[in-house]
Amino acid sequence: MIKKDLSVDFLGVHFENPFLLSSSPVGNCYEMCAKAFDEGWAGVAFKTIGPKHFKVDEVSPRFDELTKEGTPFVGFKNMEQIAEHPLEQNLHDLKKLKENYPTKIIIASIMGTNEQDWEELAQLVTEAKADMIEMNLSCPQMTSHDMGSDVGTNPELVKKYCAAVRRGSDLPILAKMTPNITDMVPAAKASMDGGADGIATINTVKSIANLDIDRKTALPTVDGKGSVSGFSGKAVKPIALRFIQQLREAAGMEQLPISGIGGIETWQDAAEFLLLGATTLQVTTSVMQYGYRIVEDMKNGLMHYMEEQGIDHLSEIIGAANKSIVPVDSLNRDYKVYPKIDWDKCIGCGRCYISCFDGAHQAIQWNEEARRPTVDIDKCVGCHLCNLVCPVGAISTGEVVMKPGREGNPEDIKIESPRLTHF
Amino acid sequence: MTKKYETEAPGYTMTTVMEEAARCLLCHDAPCSKACPADTDPARFIRSVRFNNVKGAAETIRENNALGAICARVCPTEKYCELACSRTGIDCPIDIGGIQRYVTDFEQAAKMDILKQGKSNGKHIAIVGSGPSGLQVATTMLTKGYAVDIYEKNEKAGGYLTYGIPEYRLPNDIVEYEIKRIINLGANIHYNTTVGDDIMMDDLKANNDAVVVAVGASESKVLPMFANNENVETAVGFLARVKEAKGNITDLPENAVVIGGGDVAMDVATTLRRLDVKNVTDMAYEEFDEFKASKKELKGTREAGVTIVDGYVPTAVNGNEVTFKHRHIDSEMTIKSNKIILAVGQRVNAANLNITIDKHEEVPYAGYGTADPKVFVTGDIAQGDKTVVWAVRKGKEVAEQIDKMIMDKDKEADLVGGNE
Repeated sequence: MIKKDLSVDFLGVHFENPFLLSSSPVGNCYEMCAKAFDEGWAGVAFKTIGPKHFKVDEVSPRFDELTKEGTPFVGFKNMEQIAEHPLEQNLHDLKKLKENYPTKIIIASIMGTNEQDWEELAQLVTEAKADMIEMNLSCPQMTSHDMGSDVGTNPELVKKYCAAVRRGSDLPILAKMTPNITDMVPAAKASMDGGADGIATINTVKSIANLDIDRKTALPTVDGKGSVSGFSGKAVKPIALRFIQQLREAAGMEQLPISGIGGIETWQDAAEFLLLGATTLQVTTSVMQYGYRIVEDMKNGLMHYMEEQGIDHLSEIIGAANKSIVPVDSLNRDYKVYPKIDWDKCIGCGRCYISCFDGAHQAIQWNEEARRPTVDIDKCVGCHLCNLVCPVGAISTGEVVMKPGREGNPEDIKIESPRLTHF
Repeated sequence: MTKKYETEAPGYTMTTVMEEAARCLLCHDAPCSKACPADTDPARFIRSVRFNNVKGAAETIRENNALGAICARVCPTEKYCELACSRTGIDCPIDIGGIQRYVTDFEQAAKMDILKQGKSNGKHIAIVGSGPSGLQVATTMLTKGYAVDIYEKNEKAGGYLTYGIPEYRLPNDIVEYEIKRIINLGANIHYNTTVGDDIMMDDLKANNDAVVVAVGASESKVLPMFANNENVETAVGFLARVKEAKGNITDLPENAVVIGGGDVAMDVATTLRRLDVKNVTDMAYEEFDEFKASKKELKGTREAGVTIVDGYVPTAVNGNEVTFKHRHIDSEMTIKSNKIILAVGQRVNAANLNITIDKHEEVPYAGYGTADPKVFVTGDIAQGDKTVVWAVRKGKEVAEQIDKMIMDKDKEADLVGGNE
């Protein structure tokens, strides 16, 4: 079995690998975190601890899933709020985890309703020997408007509460941001100005995943009614990656320390977050679906990726993609690349023909007798929709041509690495 | 003409293997992983495929099994992992063998070298026979740091893998690749060397810390009534001849009768059909509800167009005419054919090896030891199943036993030394 050093240093804290449970139902008590640590997770953002006066009162049922054809859990909707256990119990669990797992990293997620709450909670979790504090400024389904994403979308409040936590603790502070905002940069900047050391993002996206079309309300249905609440899982990964890239490209935030969250379930997902600048990675939805064991393949797969990339430390790739992701107006528009059809692989289903005609530029000609597509290069714009819909990977990127009147050598153009990298 | 013989059924692609892996229920305490005689962990490697970690899947398979790519193709999974599969409660089991084949083919394409030779411990073992069990013993011992010499009577290594299982089921390239992997790990194979003839057991014992006899049941049995009949050929002889010639044999009959109901009989009958022999009849002692051949093999044989007649035993032979009688009903048939191939079991040739082989073609006791504390048995001649997956299991077990014996002896010697 391959062995590589997956450790990362983040906000002055050493993590044996980047994989953490995010603040959620998956890290809700001592027993859960202990099992996760035993299976290889490097740490946990313990389920958000709130002030004593805020009573958590949950609905039943509280989850829903988005499916597509036969695939479950494309996305996951949940209505849970913060930790249900009493404050004392949570603090006790944090302490016991640190005592019994001294090399694992305990991040205390906290959430208050005012400055006093935040400061007190920060003091309490610091006394409980947490390694780091994560401020939950982003839960979209709190029953109080003084909590969660209503706070996280207000930079002034964010700054004020970060300052309160800073007063209450000398631990590193992560501010967990909501994606329910057009631009995350002002809130992230406000948190750093207030005293946070890094950003955790994204929390869940406000959503209605499905309706109960007989009862005519959103799922899950609670006594005949539904609500907007947070969406997570694979479907939100693109949104998470986008926010992380936009944070890292904002002026002065190029080295922003980030704990990445949003639909991570494979080592490839993990590599993507790292390449965009996340140093640690937080996971919930795929653990809810598959269990803590998924960390084994994330770790092992990441080691193989490091081997392929010829690197010894993950720090060598953190943020490595930031600079090559540019505004759309900066992209090279001087060429197009035609699709190339591999006749040995083509099975004659005609899906490329349908998609090109109905969804693109009518550039695939269909031979009815032979049941084979050919590309009409006069009409083809090189969009590669055909490549994406082909069920057998018979279509790839082919010849590169410069557009009429444009300068450049087609051979210098860097086209995509093959989508099917294996065989 | 030999294309049908040489061509293996297509394997999964990256897309289709994911579709199959997505059918896996990723069970808690997965039953498939408890059902493999060789301790393969399908639940673990299928989960790795599911999460895009094919290299990790290859590690899981290879670290456990020196012949992972071979087992993927020839294991009767229907009796083990796939029988246990929970998916059966919905429709049909996961194609575990097929996924394993994808992963091990990937391992080869990616040129992965997963197993590493252990740091030398200065100990030597000799293995007699390079069939599947001998190869597994070699691999386990090499990873533990032993020097390993294998003595093979034939020109090529692999035993029945090389000379028996037909190309369409187990391509020779795969067998060669698996053996090359073991040679790269440090195995020293002496070809064309018969122990007891070219080199003596006593020499092996004198020059090694242990000797493992893994000779296998490499000769076909011949029923007395068929002795010295020029129309008769043995299954082992026929399969070896075809495989060595890559299907290019010239003396094919127009029609043939195969006698036997095990996997070897199925291989012979299917090979004949794939070489375009028009009429092939397989006469089996067992009735279908007690059939010995695996369901996969039986299905393939039927699809190849072989006529299979169950429940009959040969009672008389006259030149190329054989008369069969049903074991339970009053029925008799006589078939005249150009060729009669006997697949009625195999026997062990352990001449000059000082090993006692009983009428079941194995040692007359359980376990891997022999009367000589330095000599061990594995493979077909050790009691237990005779399939490749069992050969692997036995090879792993005997290797652990030998290692423990040698290491314990060393510890004892150290203690004695310390007292002096």
